[in-house]
Amino acid sequence: MTRNPTIIGNILRGLGWFGLALFLITMFLSDFLAHAPAGMEFAGTELGPPSDAHPFGTDMLGRDVLSETLHGLAETGRLAMWAALVAIVLGGLFGAIAARLPRPLALTLRGLFGVLGTIPPLLLAIVIVGLTDHLFVAVAAGFGAAPLGFVRAFDRIDLHSAHSDYALATGIPSLSLLQRDLTYDFRHVFLTVIARALTAVTIIVSTASFLGFGAEPPARDLGLIIAAAKINHFTAWWTAVFPGLALILFILCARLAAGLEEGERA
Amino acid sequence: MKRFLARQLARLTIGLCGAVLVAVALSAITEPRPRNLPAYLLAVLDRLHHLAQGDLGHSAISGLPVLTELIQHLPPTLLLLVAGAGVALAAGLPLGILFAFGSLRRAAAPIMQIVTATPVFCAGLALAFGASEILHWPVGFASRTGLAASPEEALRLAVLPIATVGLAGAGAVQLALRRSAARSAAASFRGGLRRLGLGGFEIELFYVLPQIFAGLIASAGDIVLALVSAAVVAEWVFHRDGAADLFVKSVALADWNMTAVILFAVAALTIVASFLGRVLGFLLARGQTS
Repeated sequence: MTRNPTIIGNILRGLGWFGLALFLITMFLSDFLAHAPAGMEFAGTELGPPSDAHPFGTDMLGRDVLSETLHGLAETGRLAMWAALVAIVLGGLFGAIAARLPRPLALTLRGLFGVLGTIPPLLLAIVIVGLTDHLFVAVAAGFGAAPLGFVRAFDRIDLHSAHSDYALATGIPSLSLLQRDLTYDFRHVFLTVIARALTAVTIIVSTASFLGFGAEPPARDLGLIIAAAKINHFTAWWTAVFPGLALILFILCARLAAGLEEGERA
Repeated sequence: MKRFLARQLARLTIGLCGAVLVAVALSAITEPRPRNLPAYLLAVLDRLHHLAQGDLGHSAISGLPVLTELIQHLPPTLLLLVAGAGVALAAGLPLGILFAFGSLRRAAAPIMQIVTATPVFCAGLALAFGASEILHWPVGFASRTGLAASPEEALRLAVLPIATVGLAGAGAVQLALRRSAARSAAASFRGGLRRLGLGGFEIELFYVLPQIFAGLIASAGDIVLALVSAAVVAEWVFHRDGAADLFVKSVALADWNMTAVILFAVAALTIVASFLGRVLGFLLARGQTS
């Protein structure tokens, strides 16, 4: 699942968590750090290039891109955190619990989530948003990422381990065994699981927003900001580049924190 | 061998049946929406009955049978996927080999991490910007039509989505190759073969390489999943009129019959690719050891 911890690996992970902490502070302070309130039009001239007054320039409605990027980052982060929670509970946690359920039920659930896992998470999230509402994009992204997490957690549980056999022989209830597994096996990877989930759902949330299935104005996340900038990003590159870089940097920090290998999907 | 094949066939059958059930459950949510669980279950049964008769339903947008519509839109997407897979292999194989056996990996790791952290839509827009500003190529979403004036222009319009999908797949290919190489590096047969008098080159060429490629082929499902995800975004970004683009439009306009069929096609593609990958990988590894 993860590489053996090396000195460089640990430094990179530390950098990733440090970056995520900085992003978290920026998200909480976005209203103070931003020059203009979210969605404020005509803060400057339309499509003005980066300048002292507007370091990231302005967009087609004269909105300050720096302020919009900060507000967008806060919105993306908020959605991603909820989505990560859903993905962890419905994926990893439920997968670990399901493996301890009576075998026919456990295998049925494993089969169902296995089938859902063959559908790209983005498509699953889009369908759920389509069936419900844009407000549920975080839940949808979490649900989209959950099947693969479920399968991974389910397969990770070794029902025939020495301690499981001992528990079975001595009559220790499955619930206690599950508690033991969650406490001892998952506590070492808990932070990794959080960072991994955050990486996966941030990509899903922002892509869903880009495709029009995520945040709705006036709340604009980075995916929606980039989608709005698409129409004139050849002539006014700054409208898409800065929000895009913020998004990539956020995902990069989450990837490093999760200890993901180069090219590895979260 | 027979046991392995039987198990894989069972997995394939169960997977495809599950995908059918998921698609039917989705297509049962049509207008008027069933208001309660019994009504919904009846709608699911009704859909299954129609499916058994070969009726997959009609598109709520065009009114055409969904299968007809899918057949119209599927070829460009399949072409995009096949071409993207070609790019993914062409770029991913050398990268995987270089990263697996060379010290280049450490040097290239930061770039690879940044590339992997880039969402497909950002990569697509960046490629489009580069192609338009540096190479002065036409870009599908810039012209808003996606229609080409000449074969050369059509080729240029097709290159960007293919490159976007290919790059997404290349990451998956190099990772599968690198992991497979790492597994082979730890294999115990190397020592045994060396004691039998075989040279290092022979061992690598005739024993290790097939093992590595068997591992890569066994990861076909993961690679296809990465390619399909990228194709959805690439078609939307570059205004390609394919099945993935149709999927997004169908969900937006609540055409659940169409959505269900496309979702089934995607799931079936991944399941079949996984099955073929596992079986071919197994046969390749087995043929090499026997």
